[in-house]
Amino acid sequence: MKHMNRKHFIIRTVSILQICFFMMYFFMTDTFAYQDTLEKIKSSGVLTWGFDADGGAPYVFHDPKHPSKLIGFEVDIVEAIARELGVKVQNFQNEWDSILLSLQRGDFDIALNGIEITSDREQSVLFTRPYFVYAEQIVVRDSDNRIHRLDDLHGKKVGTLYNTVAKRMLEEMGDVAVSTYSGQVEPFKDLSLNRIDAVLVDLPIAFYYAAPNPQLRMVGEPVGEGYYGIAVRKEETALAEELNIIIEKILRSGELKKIYERWGVWNTSQEKLFLHEGLLQKYTESPPSISEKVPLRVTTFLPTLLKGALVTVGISILSMMLAVVLGLILAIMRLYGNKWLQRVSTAYIEFYRGTPLLIQLYILYYGLPNIGITLSAFIAAILGLGMNYAAYESEIYRAGIQAIPKGQTEAALSLCMSGRLILRRIILPQAFRIAIPPMTNDFIALFKDSSLVSVIAMVELTKSYSMLAAASMNFFQLGIITALLYFGMSYPLSIYARRLERKLKSYD
Amino acid sequence: MIEISNLFKQHGQQPLFNGLNLELEKGSVVAVIGPSGSGKSTLLRCINGLEYFQKGCISVDGQKLYGVNEQSYNKADEDCTVKKIRRRIGMVFQQFNLFPHMTVLNNITEAPVCVMGISRAEAEAVAISLLQKVHLEEKAQSYPAQLSGGEQQRVAIARALAMKPEAMLFDEPTSSLDPEMIEEVLLVVKDLVSEGMTTMIATHEMGFARDVSTHVIFLEKGNIVERGSPKKIFSNPKNKRTKMFLSRFMK
Ligand SMILES: Nc1ncnc2c1ncn2[C@@H]1O[C@H](COP(=O)(O)OP(=O)(O)O)[C@@H](O)[C@H]1O
Ligand SMILES: [Mg+2]
Repeated sequence: MKHMNRKHFIIRTVSILQICFFMMYFFMTDTFAYQDTLEKIKSSGVLTWGFDADGGAPYVFHDPKHPSKLIGFEVDIVEAIARELGVKVQNFQNEWDSILLSLQRGDFDIALNGIEITSDREQSVLFTRPYFVYAEQIVVRDSDNRIHRLDDLHGKKVGTLYNTVAKRMLEEMGDVAVSTYSGQVEPFKDLSLNRIDAVLVDLPIAFYYAAPNPQLRMVGEPVGEGYYGIAVRKEETALAEELNIIIEKILRSGELKKIYERWGVWNTSQEKLFLHEGLLQKYTESPPSISEKVPLRVTTFLPTLLKGALVTVGISILSMMLAVVLGLILAIMRLYGNKWLQRVSTAYIEFYRGTPLLIQLYILYYGLPNIGITLSAFIAAILGLGMNYAAYESEIYRAGIQAIPKGQTEAALSLCMSGRLILRRIILPQAFRIAIPPMTNDFIALFKDSSLVSVIAMVELTKSYSMLAAASMNFFQLGIITALLYFGMSYPLSIYARRLERKLKSYD
Repeated sequence: MIEISNLFKQHGQQPLFNGLNLELEKGSVVAVIGPSGSGKSTLLRCINGLEYFQKGCISVDGQKLYGVNEQSYNKADEDCTVKKIRRRIGMVFQQFNLFPHMTVLNNITEAPVCVMGISRAEAEAVAISLLQKVHLEEKAQSYPAQLSGGEQQRVAIARALAMKPEAMLFDEPTSSLDPEMIEEVLLVVKDLVSEGMTTMIATHEMGFARDVSTHVIFLEKGNIVERGSPKKIFSNPKNKRTKMFLSRFMK
């Protein structure tokens, strides 16, 4: 192949380029062929709606009785809008964190999912007039009488959701220990479990989850009022205009109020929606009480990323230590234990290798409290990762131990060494050497898997990244920097492992 | 010193020894010869407790190992006896079996320090003198992989000697060696024998067996077909199988 025919090569290159162009054209037509999204919606008869049903009730969520069906007050609003447009709704499930990014990419026509109108988001998308006035509500345990208003949250542990105004409010208070969650159920769970002292979330959420729960209580007036709007791509002024007219219509006709009443989220604050002209002016000139400052310069976001990296390193090292020790115990149980120890070890390994780490983490953190064991997020993260990887490490050890020739054991036996001594002095040191390369691979994999612990309210590097990126819409630069941070941590490890391997090899 | 009586041994369903008897006096040197698969290794390994056997008894200075089907067999006692026997009898393997992750010095000091509880300094002094004995004192800090086969086997001998055994079992110590290295290992064995070490050696080096041993046994398919002094066996074998076997080796 050294003397590849030049002409042949050119022809091949050209045809590959053609295919690329063709494919680009093919994908682009879908999104960009129509000048105007409104036109496209009307002619195709379909309005594509982006939302995240994982966010939960009462916005958009799966009906517990008919899980295939989506319900929520925003579903009703979107349906009303579609009816007014004379089109059908097509759902587009999207991670909430990246919902505006997907909107910009053209995945759907509108994003309507509790998106607060902020001056900073307005730089990347166009908002309609508000369709809902939200406020932040404090929720505490019914038995707790320490907290009555926002100021009482100083020095407390408070749960809230990622990328919300409530989170920024808490952070700006300075001395609040903020626990951030990606789902709406979890902060209330942790509140009932005494893991946190209070929850500060958008009023509809508090209303839906806390009001029916006798253990929890909403305290104080709602604070930090702001507005939800429908987001469209920046250039879609015609679509925004049309949506504004529809919102106005269903507002005046009382339909919107009925929807909100049905979902229990109507309050007098919603009256402000009628003041739309003045209001539109107001919120663009002076954004809602909480100013969202976008961290764009390195000095602003690097400390957050580094803090996340530190958590990642800490969790990885501690859980790997657990995995190494527990894995060794499992391997020895399986190889040298009696029948019962062998069975226990085998069952453990099969269970942990056959179930997703995510489920294991959920069980540890949210499941165990049901039987009276309440672990902190940090401990649960280390146990979850460590116990999972122990299953893999034990198999690596087992392979390593079994690779040691029988002659080694026999020679040691003939020197009168005991079984335990042989294992410790002869077998394990040699097995360890065999195990180092796969163990390093596992450690690097664990390092990356540690991002999964964000589901149990740990803010590590990946979560810090996605939070910052979603807030600033700067997925690219932040992504590169985060990737570099991960690489900067895992690469020295590979080098170290390679060096160790070479050193251990020197006596082969 | 070693007394094997009525030994029955089978590997799985495959019978090997059918009532084998053998006695070794202190200071004697027994050469075990015979074709491959005749049971030489198994016999040596039974003595050192690396193989169990079905029936019979192996006694080393009154320490008795019983076949698993014997009435006197008792797992706990057996484990205890095996340890005592191994303290008295060293073994050298065809494949050397040095510990590859330890230096030559540590290979030798490992058991004395960890098993006998001798101080490291003392163990090292002993190890150095043993290395001098096998002419390898300059290799103390090398790893086994850095040594030739002959050197490795000499280290293995030194390692066994470090436990101060009263007898030595050699299982074809030169069979994995290149021809030019055989002599250096046999010389070390010869030295040992001349110091009066009770020795049992499975070997295909007939010249060596003839010169060094006090007794020779010829094994075939697990049976001692012929036994006697080396002079008798090598110059005037009675059994025709022995004759045939020897004729292939002695030309
Ligand atoms: N672990 C074992 N399992 C089954 N058969 C074995 C085992 N070890 C040895 N044997 C058999 O026992 C017989 C004697 O083997 P061995 O003692 O190694 O003979 P030698 O050392 O004289 O070559 C051979 O037939 C061999 O196949
Ligand atoms: Mg053999």
